[in-house]
Amino acid sequence: MIDYSEYRLANGLTVIANRDRLSQLAAVNLLYRVGARNEEPVRTGFAHLFEHLMFRGTERVPDFDMPVQIACGENNAFTNNDYTDYYMTMPKANIETAFWLESDRMTGLDITLSKLEAEKSVVIEEYNQRYLNQPYGDQWLLLRDMAYKVHPYRWPTIGLTPDHIRNASMADVQAFYKRYYRPSNAVLAVSGDIEPERVFELAEKWFGELDGGNVAADEIPSEPVQTEARRCEVTRDVPATQITIAFHMGGRLSADYYTCDVMTDMLAGGTSARLYRRLVKERRLFCSVNSYITGDMDPGLFVLTGQLMPGVDVHTGEEAFWNEMMLLCNEPATDEELQKVRNKFEANMLYGELNVMNKALNLSYYSMLGNLALINGELKMYRQVDAARVSETACRLFRRDESSTLVIYGKDEK
Amino acid sequence: MKNSISPDRNVQPAVSIPDRVELPLAEVHNMAGGVKLYCLPAPGYGVVRVSFVFRAGSSWQDVPFCASATANNLAEGSSTMTSQQIAETLDYYGSYFDVSIDRDWSVVTFVCLSKFFGQTMGLAREIVLDPIFPEEELRTYCDKSKQTLTINRMKVDFNARELFSRSIYGAAHPYGVSSPAERYDDLTREDVRRFYASHYTAANCFVVMSGDIDESHIRTVGELLAAMPTGDAGERPAFPEPCSISSAEMPFPDAVQSAIRVGRVMFPRSHPDFIGMQVVASVLGGYFGSRLVRNLREERGYTYGAYSAMVNLDRSGYFAAATEVGARFTEDAVAQILVETERLRNEPVPEEELSLVRNIMVGEVLRILDGPFGVADVTIENIQNGFDNTYISSFVEEVRRITPERILELADRYLAPDALTTVVVGPQQM
Repeated sequence: MIDYSEYRLANGLTVIANRDRLSQLAAVNLLYRVGARNEEPVRTGFAHLFEHLMFRGTERVPDFDMPVQIACGENNAFTNNDYTDYYMTMPKANIETAFWLESDRMTGLDITLSKLEAEKSVVIEEYNQRYLNQPYGDQWLLLRDMAYKVHPYRWPTIGLTPDHIRNASMADVQAFYKRYYRPSNAVLAVSGDIEPERVFELAEKWFGELDGGNVAADEIPSEPVQTEARRCEVTRDVPATQITIAFHMGGRLSADYYTCDVMTDMLAGGTSARLYRRLVKERRLFCSVNSYITGDMDPGLFVLTGQLMPGVDVHTGEEAFWNEMMLLCNEPATDEELQKVRNKFEANMLYGELNVMNKALNLSYYSMLGNLALINGELKMYRQVDAARVSETACRLFRRDESSTLVIYGKDEK
Repeated sequence: MKNSISPDRNVQPAVSIPDRVELPLAEVHNMAGGVKLYCLPAPGYGVVRVSFVFRAGSSWQDVPFCASATANNLAEGSSTMTSQQIAETLDYYGSYFDVSIDRDWSVVTFVCLSKFFGQTMGLAREIVLDPIFPEEELRTYCDKSKQTLTINRMKVDFNARELFSRSIYGAAHPYGVSSPAERYDDLTREDVRRFYASHYTAANCFVVMSGDIDESHIRTVGELLAAMPTGDAGERPAFPEPCSISSAEMPFPDAVQSAIRVGRVMFPRSHPDFIGMQVVASVLGGYFGSRLVRNLREERGYTYGAYSAMVNLDRSGYFAAATEVGARFTEDAVAQILVETERLRNEPVPEEELSLVRNIMVGEVLRILDGPFGVADVTIENIQNGFDNTYISSFVEEVRRITPERILELADRYLAPDALTTVVVGPQQM
């Protein structure tokens, strides 16, 4: 159970405070409601590139890291399809430095052509290293492009191609900054041994005078219902052939989210789960298996994936997956399976409430979702998932003509 | 609450290093068999963590790889449960089990929802008190570990670490020794059982519990400890004196980079100069922006990263600077590391730089302490080193107080070039 107070500045900045009396450390999390989902198809990878630029200094503070270190602090950031997140931890006494720095770079970023060019090469290098030169590195590029046709989840955070990053202009960057890096598009959350009133005062002091901006929500095209089986097969320099099958499911706030999360756990949560027990241990078809949901804000994907044992053919592997999906649909989940999954969610939720950094991030995240109370309400949602719902959802989701299958063959295997 | 005066955005708001970082003292309970149970209650979190700490690290083994094989096979089956049953039952309760091992200690940790504490400790009994080390699981473990070690030994960095230990302690010293991967094939179930029986005993153990603790939890742990064999701590024979050589290299013709280690044997954390030398090591290479990073990365572009640190062992300690550089820069990189240690011996650290290092070090301590489990980790380390939790406030106090003169004096005393060992693993012969 996380206690919190919420406050909104006149310019639209949402501020949330959690008082943790035991911690000597405080965490400040600033979330911008902008991710790869807000990008245009011809300018992808932008939200992530911009995150890099946020560390390149402002006119007033040319070196961002130095004042953080002086304040005994540490900071970092990440970008995903839905949002961009900046976080800092420091002793509670020095917390004002975080407000000073974050409010400063929300408006005063000093973007020059040379900084932009330098950051572009860093990001293109990251593209090459993580998406092109890694075994299975391009699987998300391929899978997203197949499963989505119009929704911007069609591309990963890094972007559709390095060319989009190469082509980013100063004007693009400035426009992006002006549009999305505004108080009304951000959520600030603080967790630490600090009175909420003090947090709100500091927020007024440092962010209150900033122009709120008027960020109308982007019109995101919704993905039409898929009506044909899609398939993509490629050969790469990988040690084992990998099969991935994806299905469309509901968004983060839908009942589907909880049911599907439970289903992935029944399939692949640990060595007692169905896929591991039957397909790895008993039938020895796969050397590894996994199942997960993307968990995106808009309707996301339900994924089953596995790497085949040498000599097992793709058809056998795929049919084994389909067989497991049909079992989820036709045979009710046992009480023991469901109880195990609930125990795990409860444990993971409580383990996640142990430190201030996680709490500050979660507060911003649930506020972005538009339902902050959910931060303490999800266990109840999970408890409502029963055998009937699992089977209904499995029957509805797992249809061949709504599936996207990606096969990555090893060089010697096809 | 609306504030009409604009804040001064041109200067950083005042900062302070916390003048005191205080950790709660653990409540100590004397349990059966003389085992001490240290409790750090943090009510309200709904979770409990228990760590069983044994003097059973790799420096205690007579047979190569025996200590880590013992620790890593504890949960592979008991006289009543298979490894699969143990894993599934832990999974069912959402409980988490982990083993870590270093040269001196083995730590067996359980984390669970407080409402499933009894069930989790039931499994802890199987794992800690009744492991049978099935032959098949042990062989699988040995094959995998041999494979991993073989792959690791294809990397320059891993070899540099091993060669450095051999070069500063001697190849036969418990802290210096490394063994061929083939020795995994010779490791027997009997070796592991013998190591378990002599080291996983009450005489060799302490326990740290944190989180939502109540009396019944303490009783449950007490019952487990009452069933633990008493054992005999005995007197451990003294270690041989370290036998250091001034340089060593290992050719690696195909490598793109060379791994470099420069350092020397020092002393354990209980030595009065340890904390001071930690500050020296931090100035040199303890953070992003340190002297080594500026010299080797930013000015010369030899490397992505360079580090230095003081490492604490139960009966010793060492200082090391480490980096991996493009092969053709090897010779100059070693020279630059020595330029930087010489600079520490000859020029006082500017107050501004030292103050930044102080703040970074104190910030690190606070981050490690974030949350009840962080506090438990630090408590374990303090007990291992013979301290109670007041150690953290004296650490912070000393870091806050340290002067440029003291840094100069320590660097001069300990980092003279002829006292340092240099190790290079890479394509270029020096």
